[in-house]
Amino acid sequence: MSEDAIVANGITKAYGSMTAVDHVSFRVPSGGIFGLLGPNGAGKTTIIKVLTGLSDLTGGDARVAGFDVRKYPMEVKQRIGWVAAEVILDDDFSGWENLWLQAKFQRVAEWKDRAKQLLDYFALSAFKDNKVGTYSTGMRKKLEIALALLHEPQIIFMDEPTIGLDPGTRRMLWELITGVNREYGITIFLTSHYIEEADALCSQVAILDQGKIAAMGSPNDLKARVQGDYIELETGEPVNETRLLAIPGVREVRVQGRTWILKVDRSEEFLPSLFDHVKPDLIRKINVEKPSLESVFMQLTGKRIDQAGAEVQDYRKFYANVRRARG
Amino acid sequence: MSTETEHGVALPTPNVVAPPTSELHRIGQMSQFTGLYSRELLRTFRNPWVLVITVVQPFMWLAFFGSSFANVPLAELEKLLHITISSYTQFLLPGVLSTSMLSVGMFGAMSTIQDKRFGYMKRILLTPTSKSTVFLAKALGSATRGLVQIPVMVVAALAFGVQLDGSLLMWAGFVLALIFLALGFSSLFLAVTASSTDWQTPGVISNFIMMPLMFASGALFPTANFPAWMATIANWNPVTYTALLGRGVVVSGTFDWLYLGYVALFAGLLVLAGTLVGRKYMKVE
Repeated sequence: MSEDAIVANGITKAYGSMTAVDHVSFRVPSGGIFGLLGPNGAGKTTIIKVLTGLSDLTGGDARVAGFDVRKYPMEVKQRIGWVAAEVILDDDFSGWENLWLQAKFQRVAEWKDRAKQLLDYFALSAFKDNKVGTYSTGMRKKLEIALALLHEPQIIFMDEPTIGLDPGTRRMLWELITGVNREYGITIFLTSHYIEEADALCSQVAILDQGKIAAMGSPNDLKARVQGDYIELETGEPVNETRLLAIPGVREVRVQGRTWILKVDRSEEFLPSLFDHVKPDLIRKINVEKPSLESVFMQLTGKRIDQAGAEVQDYRKFYANVRRARG
Repeated sequence: MSTETEHGVALPTPNVVAPPTSELHRIGQMSQFTGLYSRELLRTFRNPWVLVITVVQPFMWLAFFGSSFANVPLAELEKLLHITISSYTQFLLPGVLSTSMLSVGMFGAMSTIQDKRFGYMKRILLTPTSKSTVFLAKALGSATRGLVQIPVMVVAALAFGVQLDGSLLMWAGFVLALIFLALGFSSLFLAVTASSTDWQTPGVISNFIMMPLMFASGALFPTANFPAWMATIANWNPVTYTALLGRGVVVSGTFDWLYLGYVALFAGLLVLAGTLVGRKYMKVE
């Protein structure tokens, strides 16, 4: 199948007067891992909702797995898997029962062999009869991916697959996600606000900011667009902007709160001359940013991804809320 | 064909060339309904407290409410109730069975709100399962939960020495009426709470409909003693007709098809209306 797995054409979603997704268009080729990178509140989850038929489009159209999402949402849902950001399983049921329910909902007749193999693959076989409520977060996440794979979908949507996970679990999941993509040949569409995640996993990345796509391409292509390094500088006393601009190799100076963001040709050459112009004891913090998806985002929007969010999310609070909802 | 991975486990056969989703054998939509319905039942009956309450509540009704007229001579009671009975508990049993179907909708509404808040509704609706299927499974699920009270209460009544009349077939008809009643009220609860995600909504609705429909019915006392306005409500109230049908069976071994028809009509209309409302207004989260 050479057809694109997903074609989004000017998709728009408005909630009242608030436009969450604003005329977004992109193509996701079959077989790759496509990442939607952007801060919280950029519209990533909304895009997943409209592409999976969970939420109606306000404007534009989209084809997913070869079917028009507006006209054939059920055909689309039969061909996609979905992994939620907040891990959605039935805690009162065992892992095996969760698989059984998913097979029922997806109307798959012969699911048991595949379910067993998936449990083996995700190293969950020993726990299959335990209630999911007793699983660790990593195990829950793995079971969720197994559920998404059960009906042999063409595309899996993963909303913030590693949000709030510890680094070890995150690495394990990265490995699993690339494994699933490579060995099952399934297209993966994921959202993330973690730069390293998009960089490590995705063959294609679209950078989303305030409901619009700011840039799109492979991580390397995107990084090649940034020329020069970014320096973040925090000083104890106010520093004159012209003084910073006067330093050789400085191209741009911006201020974000108490921090200066300088764009320089080469940080290696810039740093020694910085100390000639700004007394070292004035400097509180220096951060050097080599070309990365973060610097692409900074160049495009003038903000850092983690500071650009409509509201900064506190994950402990997030999971506490999830638990409260369950209690 | 299987591949060794870093985990050292054989993978299910990969479909690198063309994912055979379209060829995957799919069974009918009934599977979604049975999945959802089984989930409702398992979730309910695995909870030991649900079982305890299911058993204890009918006992309490018969023990406490049924004993209210214990010291009233039977002849006076029969004059008051306009019926020949062996005890007030005998009069009460079909009524309590009927009124207990009023609140079963709360279970379905609560479980639906829980699914919305958990996000499980998203998991369901991100599969090719329609909102109507979800609605019907929830309605039938909570109705079923209510039906468990029937055998428990009948056994309780026998334990209290209540005489039960009626043939098995008549009893089956009465149970059918109770099923209709439970389905109708479950649909009502689910439809009213379709767009709600608030835990408190079902309780509020329950308080709002329980009292009027329980007392403005012939379930606990005969409607002949009611003031005109209350009798009017009772004349429309399906609880009245379920109770009258049951009383006919339990007390005098008679069966009125018209009552069953009325309750069936009530259930049919509410299930239909509820499904339409649910399909349109049921929120995902």
